[in-house]
Amino acid sequence: MSSTSLYVDADSFLHRLDPRAKLALLVAMAVPAYTFGRPAFIAIPFVAALVGLWIGQGLRNLRRVWFIIVALFVVGLVVWPGFVERGGPVVVDVGPLYLTERQTLFALGRSLRITSFILGGLVYVSTTSNEEIVRGMRGLGLPYAFCFAVGTALRLFPTFLDAAGTVRQAQEARGLEISSRNPIERARSFIPLLIPVFMTAFRNIETQSMALEARGFDTRSERTFYRDSDFAFRDWLAVGFTVAVSVASIALSTMGVGTF
Amino acid sequence: MSDSEDVAVRLRDVVFSYVRNATLPEPEELTGEADPDEREGPVLRGVDVSVPADSFTVVMGASGGGKSTLLRTFNAIIPDFIDGSFRGEVDVLGVDATETRVSEMARDVGMVLQDYESQLFGTSVEAEVAFGPENLAVPAEEIEPRIEQSLDLVGLDDLEPHREPSGLSGGQKQRLVFAGVAATHPELLVLDEPTSDLDPRGTRDIVDVVNTLSAGDAAGGDWSGPDTIAMVTHKIEEALLADHAVLLKDGRPFRSGTVREVFTDTDALTAARVAVPPLVEAFDELGWPEDDLPLLPEEARDRVAAADAEYEAPAEPGVAPGGTGAEPGDLLFELSDVTFAYDTDRGPVTAVDGVDLTVREGEVVALVGHNGSGKTTLAKHFNGLHEADDGSVSYRGRPVPEYGMGEIGREVGFVFQNPDHQIFAETVREEVAFGPKNFGLTGEELERRVDRALETVELDGLDDADPFAFSKGQRQRVALAGILATDPEVIVFDEPTTGLDATQQRQFMDLVAELNREEGVTVVMVTHDMGTVARYAPRTVVMRDGAVADDLPTRELFGDEATLAEYDLVPPHPAACANAVRGDEPTALTAEELATALGGTDALADAEPVGDGASTATEGADR
Repeated sequence: MSSTSLYVDADSFLHRLDPRAKLALLVAMAVPAYTFGRPAFIAIPFVAALVGLWIGQGLRNLRRVWFIIVALFVVGLVVWPGFVERGGPVVVDVGPLYLTERQTLFALGRSLRITSFILGGLVYVSTTSNEEIVRGMRGLGLPYAFCFAVGTALRLFPTFLDAAGTVRQAQEARGLEISSRNPIERARSFIPLLIPVFMTAFRNIETQSMALEARGFDTRSERTFYRDSDFAFRDWLAVGFTVAVSVASIALSTMGVGTF
Repeated sequence: MSDSEDVAVRLRDVVFSYVRNATLPEPEELTGEADPDEREGPVLRGVDVSVPADSFTVVMGASGGGKSTLLRTFNAIIPDFIDGSFRGEVDVLGVDATETRVSEMARDVGMVLQDYESQLFGTSVEAEVAFGPENLAVPAEEIEPRIEQSLDLVGLDDLEPHREPSGLSGGQKQRLVFAGVAATHPELLVLDEPTSDLDPRGTRDIVDVVNTLSAGDAAGGDWSGPDTIAMVTHKIEEALLADHAVLLKDGRPFRSGTVREVFTDTDALTAARVAVPPLVEAFDELGWPEDDLPLLPEEARDRVAAADAEYEAPAEPGVAPGGTGAEPGDLLFELSDVTFAYDTDRGPVTAVDGVDLTVREGEVVALVGHNGSGKTTLAKHFNGLHEADDGSVSYRGRPVPEYGMGEIGREVGFVFQNPDHQIFAETVREEVAFGPKNFGLTGEELERRVDRALETVELDGLDDADPFAFSKGQRQRVALAGILATDPEVIVFDEPTTGLDATQQRQFMDLVAELNREEGVTVVMVTHDMGTVARYAPRTVVMRDGAVADDLPTRELFGDEATLAEYDLVPPHPAACANAVRGDEPTALTAEELATALGGTDALADAEPVGDGASTATEGADR
């Protein structure tokens, strides 16, 4: 019963942008996050992504993914110092733990970078419905059959999860327990879950493809498109912004600004 | 083609088997009976049939008898899409359908199936309706009015067009499927059990849509509805919406004619394993002239009035016709102020709201109410699948959460609606043994339990069979056997009769009734099927908005038209007829009871036919 989609049904500036323009903005955020290395610089796209999430009313989605974001951030902070030359003043020197300023800043930058990407993606899915995602893909010139397949997958994902939940309950009611410590036993206990889920899915696929053809779907024949995206002025603005930010980021970073 | 003016579909000598490259038997070998559970042989066994143009034709017959298969030849799914073995001629709207692709047939033939989830492809309501016309290369500017017309036709015009279909109710989803098909402006509409997965309200909405379509009232433009409709259904009430009927038996048409002719032919119906309409059954038993049997409650009422028959109490008020739940024993379940909410991203949504309920040993209780009324969620509290957020559920005086899942699972079995959500094993025996094994049974005791369960559901001897190759009715029985083998005190059923034909439903429920009568198994069943409620459950709990709206003897519920209307429930036909003529006597719940109630005098046996003048809804043939 709980919703699986991250899309927030609202009417924000970001919702109104063409999906392709939103992808452009995603690039505008990713390029600086990728080209710069210093945390002060990467903080800009990071904050921009958070602001985007706020504008798109997607902050509540943070509740559902905060764990992944925090985990990636912390893992980055712990792992990256090991991959970089020491240098600069010492920040931490407690027993075996010895970190220089350079190591710390480098790790912080990398953690900000990866979490910015995730936040940016979250802005995109929070403000773009499945319908728009597919339309955006088609607008980028991807083949219709491929876009349709992605759309169907997005459409059926909640249905699939529902079925999986029902199967789990049905087997639990028959005494299935998946808590065995023995990994082989544990793996075996998944069989009564996986088989019904996949058998049901296969049965559905047959009905689906039948229903699909009965509605006249045929990748070989001509078709029309009811609603094509129109690229508005604001969408062009977003693209212009992206080009400007990307060019500036690349230029500055090549000059050594904001990097190590 | 000369035929095409008065015939929409004509099949000649059609033989079809789902087995690829099979050697199809010669026509003379295709006489005799076919086993409906047999999956190997041909399903269509020499079909000659025609669907009159401008008719609404209903096709009925036993499960596995080839009804759906027959309809699938109407838009070339057979033989173009399904890779089986085919022989014969199929002419649809003047086109040779055996030589045409499904996607081409889609220009003139629309199809709606039972499972709405598998038929929705769009990522939004609007995209869904536009999908068919887009596929058929309808110009974009023509699609917009079609979307409007189609959504209006199915009563979904108030939906936000960009809404995702996944958030809609089952009834709304099926209406959306109808809209998507209507937008392609089909001449022939093929419906395969369009209401089988829906609750009473969803069913009524679809029936309204079908009525509008069949009357040609789909307002707008150059298309006002399909000329011809062909429908498969198990529900007799829906069959009566049609004007022509075809009964299939042994993979061949067995009887066809007008709906009135076919559905008053009790011998033909019984032979084809189709439920005899209950009023036909009652009046036939009472000796009413065979060519004048009533199909609808109003017709029956007119006949009772014409014959001046008297109505006597058919049974004791608290007793179910199925003889079930007769003597409730000790208190089993006590639910007090149970509240349960689902977590969603929009915050918690309350599904069960302050329910107080008790169930005694040996009872048979029906839980009814619309989808979303909380009945399945409530039922899942009985075996601990859900734990109440507030309030308490106790079994034999001890709170259910205090039992381990293994402990309560042995006592309280839960049979899910769709057997395919639990069947996983390679053999029937392994499948049935799964539950008792999990509950720690081994050796001889385990074998004995499994044997007994298989015997009870009449699948003994099929121990090594592959349950995935079984028919739906058989799979349902495998699932029940899996629960019976754990030897539960209570069985909770979620929609036990969905997807089964009339005979299978009756067999399955008689089996449940026997478990209750002979072994004292307590039964709680969640169901939409009022016929099942009337026959087997002496007590009904009506759920509405997560709360218990009413908890009363079933006979009282079905005898009270005002209460039924309030809960949006439709009584079975015998009760509807009885209510119109019964005065202060208790209502009749089944055909047998109605016959008993009206059979005290021989008034009906000696009466003169009322004639078709008294009939109403089934006269749509001459529209």
